Amino acid sequence: MDLFFYLGPIILMLLLLGFVTYAILFERKVIGWIQNRPGPNQVGPWGLFQTIADVAKLLLKEDIVPGKADRALFKLAPIIAFVPAFAILAVIPFTESWQFGDFAVGLLYYIAISSITIIGILTGAWASNNKYSLLGGMRSAAQMISYEIPLVLSVVGIVMTTGSLDLNDIVLAQKKVWFIVPQFLAFLIFLIASLAELNRTPFDLPEAESELVAGYHVEYTGFRFAFFMLAEYVYVFAMASLTTCLFLGGWLPLFGLTMIPGILWFLLKFSLVVFSLFWIRATMPRLRVDQLMQFAWKVLLPLSLLNIFLTAIFKEIPVLSSFY
Amino acid sequence: MEITGEFIAFFILSILAICGAVFMIFFTNVVHMGVSMAFTFLSIAGIYFLLNADFLAVIQIMVYTGAISILMLFGIMMTRHKETEEKLNRPIHYGLSIAGAGVLLVSLVLLSRGATFVSDAVDTKGYGIEKIGELFFGTYMIPFELASILLLVALIGSIIIAKKEGQE
Repeated sequence: MDLFFYLGPIILMLLLLGFVTYAILFERKVIGWIQNRPGPNQVGPWGLFQTIADVAKLLLKEDIVPGKADRALFKLAPIIAFVPAFAILAVIPFTESWQFGDFAVGLLYYIAISSITIIGILTGAWASNNKYSLLGGMRSAAQMISYEIPLVLSVVGIVMTTGSLDLNDIVLAQKKVWFIVPQFLAFLIFLIASLAELNRTPFDLPEAESELVAGYHVEYTGFRFAFFMLAEYVYVFAMASLTTCLFLGGWLPLFGLTMIPGILWFLLKFSLVVFSLFWIRATMPRLRVDQLMQFAWKVLLPLSLLNIFLTAIFKEIPVLSSFY
Repeated sequence: MEITGEFIAFFILSILAICGAVFMIFFTNVVHMGVSMAFTFLSIAGIYFLLNADFLAVIQIMVYTGAISILMLFGIMMTRHKETEEKLNRPIHYGLSIAGAGVLLVSLVLLSRGATFVSDAVDTKGYGIEKIGELFFGTYMIPFELASILLLVALIGSIIIAKKEGQE
């Protein structure tokens, strides 16, 4: 147990690096397939070493700090952005026994810690002393703050049903039926808001190449750029895990197929979520900047409030109350 | 004194909190001040975690580190063009503030010497979020709702003031 206490996070880190390496390849392959082209296929068989080559290139690159940048903050920003991304994984229950920290307020912990990354993005954007990066950072911060509210409110229905903020309890409450069925509206809001939180298409305005060159990390090269990218993909991992736990029943089996171990069920559902994130990216155009904020405040927020209201009503109706 | 993990964590967190606060005062760049303040808020949340006040810690991160620091940084970046401040030279102000801080320190020391602290380990299990929820929506229902109405009024008021300035 003690050994696991010290080695567990290191193992998770290595697994995570492996996930990020192959998630990027998978993303490019999936998008290539959807757009009717092969995707990366030159480095290694089936392009398997493409990401490794990319990372090696990034690590070997010259490390540039722009002359007029704020050196201290410029170097600190990627760390502030990455550390919370890794810290939130502590509360995700991968299986019944495979969880690093069992908090009574696990769900809130996830939401709170993940908001620290915005500080990293903002300081990085400002410290670069570049107007494109500053604009990208501003957009990113405004977007992440606005979409955090529907994200949090959409899960309130689940918290009301379970009566707990502990992710373990939330998973165990889905033994009969997964929350995606009774909380379908919440699932839709959560999915859209999580896409915006992850800064992915159709909400990738902070990185809109055609308007902002590359967004908040325009001045970053080499290792620091890799850190920002790593943070982004770790968030994909974390958000997909959270969606699995909240709406798809975590490690719980489907159709009572208990001979398949929980971790495999978790991985299956998790991969499904990750795939749909990439699928959405390949099929959706980018939103306009004025539509973005209106959508969060005028559509998603009232809908998530409606969801809370509906959940409260359904809890009182005799037939339906067994689901809520 | 026995050195435990808790002690080391408390040591690191309190040093971070104090350093953040001191740097916040002594930095000349406004953005640097904002970031060091965020560090202070975060370390205080860490101390709450050590005290088993999980809910308070998480809310501290959410409200202070997540929302207030970001809003401040955002505001500074949007509005300030001159980022560094010159050091002001006001000897009377310095003297007065040092005297004030001294009085505060002495009174804190005197108060804490006179106060009785619970030295036994207290069972914090019963003070989870359920208890907080019951207190908020049961015993303190009316003050809680009044506070939320006050916040709502402040929000709407600020919007109206901003709109008026925009029209002129």
